[in-house]
Amino acid sequence: MRTAVATTGARLGLLACESCQLVSRPASATEPGFCRRCGEQLEWRRHASIETTWALVIAAAICYIPANALPVLTTTTLGTSEGDTILGGVVFLYTSGSWPLALVVLIASVMIPLGKLIALSYLLITVQRGSVKSGHERTRLYRMVEFIGRWSMLDVFVDTFTVALVQLQPLMSVDPGPGVLFFAAVVVLTMLAAESFDPRLIWDSANPYPARHG
Amino acid sequence: MADEPNLDELPQATVVRKKRGRISIVWIIPILAAVVAVGIAVQRILSEGPSITIVFKVAEGVEAGKTFIKYKDVNIGQVTAVQLSDDYAKVLVRAKIAKSAAGLMVKDAKFWVVEPRISLSGISGLSTLLSGNYIGFEAGKADQDERDFIGLDEPPPITNQRGRKFTLKSNSLGSLGVGAPVYYRQLSVGEVAAYNLAGDGKSVEITVFINSPYDKYVTTETRFWNASGVNVTLGADGVEVQTESLAALIAGGLAFDVPDVVSPGQPAAANATFTLYRNRAVAMKQPDPIARRFALYFDESVRGLSIGAPVTLYGLPVGEVASVGMSIDPKTQAFRPRVLVTFFPERLMAVLREKQQAAGKALEDASPEARQRNIRRQVEENGLRAQLQTGSYLTGELYVAFAYYPNAPKVKLDFSKDPLELPVVPGGLANIEAKLTSILAKVDNMPLNAIALEVKGAIASLDQTLKDADTLIKSVDAQWVPEGTKTLEDARKAIAAADRALSDADTNLLAPNSPAPQDLRDTLQEVARAARAVRVFVDYLERHPDVLIRGKPQEKQ
Repeated sequence: MRTAVATTGARLGLLACESCQLVSRPASATEPGFCRRCGEQLEWRRHASIETTWALVIAAAICYIPANALPVLTTTTLGTSEGDTILGGVVFLYTSGSWPLALVVLIASVMIPLGKLIALSYLLITVQRGSVKSGHERTRLYRMVEFIGRWSMLDVFVDTFTVALVQLQPLMSVDPGPGVLFFAAVVVLTMLAAESFDPRLIWDSANPYPARHG
Repeated sequence: MADEPNLDELPQATVVRKKRGRISIVWIIPILAAVVAVGIAVQRILSEGPSITIVFKVAEGVEAGKTFIKYKDVNIGQVTAVQLSDDYAKVLVRAKIAKSAAGLMVKDAKFWVVEPRISLSGISGLSTLLSGNYIGFEAGKADQDERDFIGLDEPPPITNQRGRKFTLKSNSLGSLGVGAPVYYRQLSVGEVAAYNLAGDGKSVEITVFINSPYDKYVTTETRFWNASGVNVTLGADGVEVQTESLAALIAGGLAFDVPDVVSPGQPAAANATFTLYRNRAVAMKQPDPIARRFALYFDESVRGLSIGAPVTLYGLPVGEVASVGMSIDPKTQAFRPRVLVTFFPERLMAVLREKQQAAGKALEDASPEARQRNIRRQVEENGLRAQLQTGSYLTGELYVAFAYYPNAPKVKLDFSKDPLELPVVPGGLANIEAKLTSILAKVDNMPLNAIALEVKGAIASLDQTLKDADTLIKSVDAQWVPEGTKTLEDARKAIAAADRALSDADTNLLAPNSPAPQDLRDTLQEVARAARAVRVFVDYLERHPDVLIRGKPQEKQ
């Protein structure tokens, strides 16, 4: 675990443009100004990164509850409608014998969104508390969260696909439930949260830079 | 740069407070999410109706999450759990009732399990074709709310719809079920509300409910009949196919109407009892209050004669066969079929001309003695007889036909017997059969061999006769031809003489004093003689032409 003070751009009082990567000196410590080359606004760290990320994580956490409580699919068979939640689907798959599939759904649709929320919260808390420990692990965690984000839409994709295919009126039809909207919201919000989180913050506590306190 | 920091270069403290720590706009997102989530939660909680428990003896086909509670065919709740009671004797069905129907859960509300039924109410109804069992609901009138109910074993009679109930009596239920439609002129106007076995267990009582605007068409004269399925009758009357509607074809149904000939009568009272007839034809038949029974003893097969087969008088239906049985002739101890026919005089009245109906009525209403006299006249004097006739050669259906046979052997009616025995004549087919048999028997009895021998002898004698004739002709040839030749020879001689004489005369007449006139006279006399001889011969021949064949030796020349 390397906790030695590293030389960073911020520590040297230099900024890199987020857009064109041109290194420039800030106009002032508090108001870094604009990039001379591309005109992008320069920032020491992403603007209100922690606050934005927190807001998105909380919104995603709120949406996570109805996403699991409300049905994602409404199956109508011969006049009888039946709503299925994600967990209900997992239980059905498990009881009907296909436990590997149940496991896949459980991991992909329940555990990964929850894991992302927990991981982002953990990153935010550690950054806010100025933790200097296990920066590498936290960075790896962040990369994982960012990478996984795009795959979480699989559920929504399957859902819409099924709805479009199974329309055998009047014998059978499948309609999307309200749960799928919340599920999509969870995925989108966690993706945005991961995007708004500035991973450089993980190292800032170990490598303080003057502008941070300016 | 400079080693000594220049104090003047230090930034000045600003007076205006920097706008820091203001809440980022991004917090709108979680707030929005929270509002939506809370909104949905609140809506859920608010829309949550009461939970109720219904106790059933059996809960056939009731499944948690799949069975609905329906009121007027609208889902008002869903079964959430089905479990046994603590003493395992009953079934506890827990159900969630929709908020909108919460007000219906009062003390005297009724629940019952509705068995599945296939109903076809148009194409759109196809989705309910296989709707499973559901729990029926009937609203109560009490004000007290209730959450625990005891389910009924059978659906309650329909109560809160406007209309009237009637009871139908039937021998069997047929394919009817609760909810089966009742049709009036092929309009669905009601349904079967309930059915149960009559107290004595010998008939079924079906309760039908007729909806309000139509119940007034149920009158004292109304007939109900079973309109289930297709009714195909192949009887002596021909093929008859009848169905009320496609739905009735599958789900069964009833229909009612008033026969055309009967006046509609007064609207029937609620709960009035009617007879449920087997089919429309039976239902629409005239009531036959007067029925007379007669016995017929046939001497032929009654195969194809079924109970209910028509009894006709000159082809018009006047009754029906009541029973077909067997009896023993007391005299000969032989078996013979005994057919009981029921004769409905009113049917005869119906086909009589209007003016004669009164006369017919008078006959019918007469005293038993007068009626006896009438029957005696019809049968003994006019020759009224019964005959078995074939209604359809395809099926061999028979019917009993009455007609007058004045040449039939006379009979004497015995009015002491009940039912009265009426005389019969052999049936159409049987008659033909008997005649054919007798012809065949006669053919069989002919002495064909003797006849053949006689014919042979006759032919032989004919042959002989022909030979004789031949001989005769030959002898005629021999006898008569020379005679004729001689006569002709004489004639020729005479003519030659005449010729000579004429030529002599020719020459002699020219010379005076010639002997010609004498000679001519002689010649003429000879010619006259010859002519006379020919005439006599011709005359004789004319009178006796047979002389040509037989010949006569002494011929006067």
